[in-house]
Amino acid sequence: MPGYSEFYFNVDHGYLEGLVRGFKAGILTSADYVNLAQCETLEDLKLHLQTTDYGNFLANETGPLTVSTIDEKLKTKLLTEFHYFRNHAFEPLATFLNFVTYSYMIDNVILLITGTLHQRPIAELAPKCHPLGSFEQMEAVSIASNPTELFNAILVDTPLAAFFQDCLSENDLDEMNIEIMRNKLYKSYLEAFYKFCEKQGGTTAEIMRPILEFEADRRAFIITINSFGTELSKDDREKLYPTCGKLYPEGLHLLANADDYEQVKRVAEYYADYKAVFEGVGSGTGEKTLEDAFFEHEVKLNVLAFNNQFHFGVFYAYVKLKEQECRNIVWIAECISQRHRTKINNYIPIF
Amino acid sequence: MGSLFRSEEVCLAQLFLQSASAYSCISELGERGLLEFRDLNPKVSPFQRRFVGEVRRCEEMEKTFTFLQQELRAAGRLPAPCPESPRAPAAREALRVQEQSEQLAQELREVSRSRSSLRDRLRDLRQHLHVLREGQRFTSLPVGPGVPAGLGREPILDPSLHHHLDRKINFVAGVIHPWRVTAFERLLWRACRGYLVASFVEMPEPMEDPATGESITWVIFLISYWGEQIGQKIRKISNCFHCQVYGYPESEASRTEAITRLHGQIQELSTLEETEKYLAEVLDKVAQVLPTWRVQVQKMKAIYLVLNQCSFDVTKKCLIAEVWCPVRDLTQVQDALRQGSVSGSCFVQRVPTTESPPTLIRTNKFTAGFQSIVDAYGVASYQEVNPAPYAIITFPFIFAIMFGDVGHGLLMFLFALWMVLYEDSPRLRQGTNEIWLTFFEGRYLILLMGAFSIYTGFIYNECFSKATAIFPSAWSVATMANHSSWSSAYLATHPSLTLDPNVTGVFQGPYPFGIDPIWSLATNHLNFLNSFKMKMSVVLGIVHMGFGVMLGVFNHVHFQQRHRLVLEFLPEMIFLLALFGYLVFLIFYKWIKFSAADSRVAPSILIHFIDMFLFTSNAENLPLYPGQVPVQMVLVVLALASVPVLLLGTPLYQWCRQRAPRTVRPRAVGGFMGITRRGIQHDFAEIFMHQAIHTIEYCLGCVSNTASYLRLWALSLAHAQLSEVLWSMVMRNGFVGLSYVGGVVLVPVFAAFAVLTVAILLVMEGLSAFLHALRLHWVEFQNKFYVGAGYKLCPFAFAPDTWE
Repeated sequence: MPGYSEFYFNVDHGYLEGLVRGFKAGILTSADYVNLAQCETLEDLKLHLQTTDYGNFLANETGPLTVSTIDEKLKTKLLTEFHYFRNHAFEPLATFLNFVTYSYMIDNVILLITGTLHQRPIAELAPKCHPLGSFEQMEAVSIASNPTELFNAILVDTPLAAFFQDCLSENDLDEMNIEIMRNKLYKSYLEAFYKFCEKQGGTTAEIMRPILEFEADRRAFIITINSFGTELSKDDREKLYPTCGKLYPEGLHLLANADDYEQVKRVAEYYADYKAVFEGVGSGTGEKTLEDAFFEHEVKLNVLAFNNQFHFGVFYAYVKLKEQECRNIVWIAECISQRHRTKINNYIPIF
Repeated sequence: MGSLFRSEEVCLAQLFLQSASAYSCISELGERGLLEFRDLNPKVSPFQRRFVGEVRRCEEMEKTFTFLQQELRAAGRLPAPCPESPRAPAAREALRVQEQSEQLAQELREVSRSRSSLRDRLRDLRQHLHVLREGQRFTSLPVGPGVPAGLGREPILDPSLHHHLDRKINFVAGVIHPWRVTAFERLLWRACRGYLVASFVEMPEPMEDPATGESITWVIFLISYWGEQIGQKIRKISNCFHCQVYGYPESEASRTEAITRLHGQIQELSTLEETEKYLAEVLDKVAQVLPTWRVQVQKMKAIYLVLNQCSFDVTKKCLIAEVWCPVRDLTQVQDALRQGSVSGSCFVQRVPTTESPPTLIRTNKFTAGFQSIVDAYGVASYQEVNPAPYAIITFPFIFAIMFGDVGHGLLMFLFALWMVLYEDSPRLRQGTNEIWLTFFEGRYLILLMGAFSIYTGFIYNECFSKATAIFPSAWSVATMANHSSWSSAYLATHPSLTLDPNVTGVFQGPYPFGIDPIWSLATNHLNFLNSFKMKMSVVLGIVHMGFGVMLGVFNHVHFQQRHRLVLEFLPEMIFLLALFGYLVFLIFYKWIKFSAADSRVAPSILIHFIDMFLFTSNAENLPLYPGQVPVQMVLVVLALASVPVLLLGTPLYQWCRQRAPRTVRPRAVGGFMGITRRGIQHDFAEIFMHQAIHTIEYCLGCVSNTASYLRLWALSLAHAQLSEVLWSMVMRNGFVGLSYVGGVVLVPVFAAFAVLTVAILLVMEGLSAFLHALRLHWVEFQNKFYVGAGYKLCPFAFAPDTWE
C-alpha cells in the first residue's frame, strides 16, 4: 500500500518511531563535542560522557581505559538499541532494518576474506568486525578460496546470497578480485535496497531516495578515484557503479571515462550537491578530506530524515548518525590518547 | 502549625570553610540535612573542577565495589544489610577502605581465577572423556563376534573405497553448542562435498558454558574423513564455530588408554574443593564489610560533589559555599560547623539577596499528604499563604459531599484506619506497587475522607442507599389518614398518597439530624433532594470561594502591598458578595420566611435573580421583601462599579508611584511573583495586561466557578442513584422469601453485591469524587489567591533510603 502512511503507520511502527526519536534526542550536540575536545585524558572523556545519554556505559570497566574499549562499548550500545528495534519490528520495517545490517555484513565478509588472505588468524579478525553485521556463518568465510566456493559453501543461505549473483567466478581471491567483489556486492545491495524503498512508497521512499542516491554516487566517485593507477579497465569499472544514484546514467558514463582527479571533479560540477562537496575539499593540513566532506553531506541528509514523520528513514538515519557519532568520539579519544591535539577538531558535529 | 500557614523564612548565607576542615563540616551538615547548596561554578565543566581527583577516586572504589558485588551475586549470596548509617570516612579511613577493598578484590580475583581455571580444566577433561566414550558408539558399534576390532570403523565407509585408495581414515571429534549444530552440519557438507561422515550425539550430562555461565547440554560430534586437505578445512570450520576439538586416537587400544588416563587426571583435580572453600571465606569477608563501605563511599562522593560547587577565596585558604538556609536552623548550622571544624574557624554568614528564596514547608506524616496535593498544583511562592492547612478540612469535606453514604464511608474509614495503625510495618511500607504506595501515602487523607463521608451519609440519611430511622419520623401518616378519612377501598385503588404538612399534626417540625427517613419512600424523593443539594452546592461553593478571596488579604498584608487591599481585595469581595452573596442570602431568606402554609405563593428565587440583572420586576413573581428592587439595583451597580476599580486600580497606582519616586522604601520583602520594584517600572504595559487578564478571569470565574460547584450536587446524586441501582438490581434479587433456599441464594448475590460495591462505588466513584474535589480546590479555590510559582528547598542530606 504505497503512500498515505500517516493513516496506518502508527498501528505497527508508532512505538518504534517514538522510541527512535527519543534516542535521537540523546545524540551528542556540538556543545558536547566542544567539551569533549577540551578533555585532557580519557578519564576526563569518560567523566563527560557520563553527563550525556551514555551514562555509565563505561562504569564497569576495570583496568585502564583504552580507545578500543571505548569503541567497543559505543558499538555495543548501538547494537543493543538496534536489536531492540529489530526484535520489536513488524514487517515491512523488519525487512528494512535487515537491509540496514546487510551493508555491515558485506563489510565484515570482505574484512575477513582480506584478513585471511594476509594470513591473519580468525580470532584476531573477528573482534574487528562490526557487530551490526555479524552472522552465524561469518567466521567460516575464511575457508573459501574463490568466490563460487564462498557462495556455494557459506553465503548461500545468508541474506547476502541475493546480492552475490554477479560475482560468481572461479578467479582466485586476490586483492583486486576482493575489491571487485565488494563493489559488486555493494552495487546489488544498494540497488535492492533502493528498490525495496521505492516499493514501500510514500514518505519512506521520499526520504530514503536522496540518502541512497547519495550513497550510490559516493561509491561511484570513490571507486573511480581509487581505481586510478590500478589495472582495472574502464569497462570493468563502469560495471561496478551502482545505478540507483543521481549520476545514472550520464554521470556514470562520464566517470567511467575519467582519467584523473580533475576529470572526476569536472563530472561532479554538473551536479549542484556534489559540486559543493568537492569544493569544500582541500589538500592542506587542517582542511577536509574528500571522505570527510562526503560524511558531512551524509550527516546533513540523515538529519533531514527527522523532519518527516511516518516513515522508516529515521531508523536508517539514526543508525548512520550514531555510527558517525561513534567515529567522532573515537577520533577525539584517539587524538587525546596520542596527544595529537591539532587535529582534534576534525570531527563532524551532528546537531 | 505556624510553618504550615506560610513557608518558612529562608535566607541566603555564605559558609566560610577552612580548607582543612571543609570535608568534615560538609559531612556534618549532610548528616543533619539542613541546607541547599548553590553551584558557584556552573560554567566549569565537571572534569575541570577542583575535587575531581577525589571524585574519581570514589568512582574507582565504587568500581571495585561493583566487582565485589557481582562476585557475591554470582555466588548467590546477598550482602548483609547495613546496620546503621555509618558516617562519611575521614581521609585516612577512606584510604584504608580503598586499600582493603582493592586487596580483597585482588584476592578474590586470584582465587576465582584459579578456581575457574581448575573448573575449566575439569570441564575440559570431562568433555574429552565424554567425547571418547560417545565416540565408541560410532567407531566400534558393529563389533560383533568374529570381527576383528580393528575393522570396527569399516561400516561407515565404503570398504572397497577404503582398500582401493589405501588411505588412512582420520577423525575430528569435539563438542559444539547445540544451537550451532545445524549450521555446522550444513556447512561441513557443503564445503567438503560430502567426503566425510559426521555424527552428532547429545552429551549425557549438561555442562557449563564458559562464555555465559549457563548450563547447556552440549552436542558431541565425530567426523570421519580422509585426505589431509579436507582435514584442514574441517578443523578450520570447527574453529569458526567455536567448537572444542579434542584429540581422538585412531586405534581402539589407544582410545581406551586415553580414557583411563583421563579418569586419572580427573581424580587428581581434588584441589578444586579447597579453592572453593577458600573462595567462600573471602566472599564471607566481602559480604560483611561491603554494605558499610558502599554507604561510606557514597557519602564521601556526595561531599566532594558539594565541595566542587564551592569557590575559593582570594587567599586560597578558605572555601566559600553559598547556601539557602532556613533562618530557624542557623544556630544548628553553626553547631554543625563547630563540631565539624578542628579549630572552630568555620562560620556562616547571612548575605542579602534580591532572588526569591526557595519554599520550605515542614510537614509531618499527617500533613504531608495534604501538602503534596497542593504541591502537585504548584509549589507555593516564597512566604505566600499555604492552602494546605485549610485543605485538611475542606478537602475531605468536599469529597464527602459527593460520596455521602454511611456504609461506604465506613468501609473507607476502616481501610484507612488499618493502614494508619500498621503504618510502621515494613511490609506495607516497602511495597513495590506504585498504585499501592500512592494509597499508602494518602492514608490520613483517606481516613478523613472516610470519616467525613460517614457524617454526610448521616445527613443524607443513606447507608448503602437505605435510609435509617434513628429518630422517629416527623411525619405522621396516621394523623393524615384520620384527617382525610381514607377508606380501605380508597387505599386499595391509590398506590400513592399525599401527606399535607398544612394539616395539623401531620408534620411535627424538622427531623433532628439530616433528612427525614420518610423521604426515601416518597415518589418526589428526588425532587426534594435535588432542590436541597443544588442549593447546598451553591451556598458551600460561594462560602469556599469567599474564603479564598479572604486568604488573599494575608498575602497583601504580608508582602506590604496594602494598596492591593483596597484596589484588589475590596472590589473582588464586593463583586462576589453583591451578586452571589446576595443569592445565598435569598436562599436562606426564603427558607426562613416561607413555611409550608404559604408555599403556594412563595416567589421563585431564580426569576428574581434574573430580573435583578435585567433591572426589571415581574408582576407574577411576588417580591420577597419590601424594597427589594432598589436594594438589588444598588447591589448590581456596586458590583459593576467594582470591575473598573479592579481593572485599573493597581496599574494606575503603580504608575503614580513611578512618577513620584520618593516613596521607595527599603524593604527586603518584595519579591512576590518574582517581580521586583525596578521591573515594574520598566513594563507598565505588562502589569496592565496582567491585571486585565486577572480581572476578566476573576469576573467570569465568579460565574463559571459558582456553576462549577454544582458538580457537588451532580456527583452526590450520581453516587446515591448508583448505590440504589446496585441495591435494587442486585441485592434485592437475593431476598427470595424467608426460606432456606433464600439463604443459599443470598450468598452468591451478596458476594456480587460486595464486589460491585467495592469496585464501582468505593474505588471508581471514590476516585471520581476525589478528582472533582481536587479540581474544586486547585481551580475554584486556589485561583482566588494562590500563585504557586515557587520552588522547593532541597537540602543536601544523606537520606537513609537511597542506599539500596
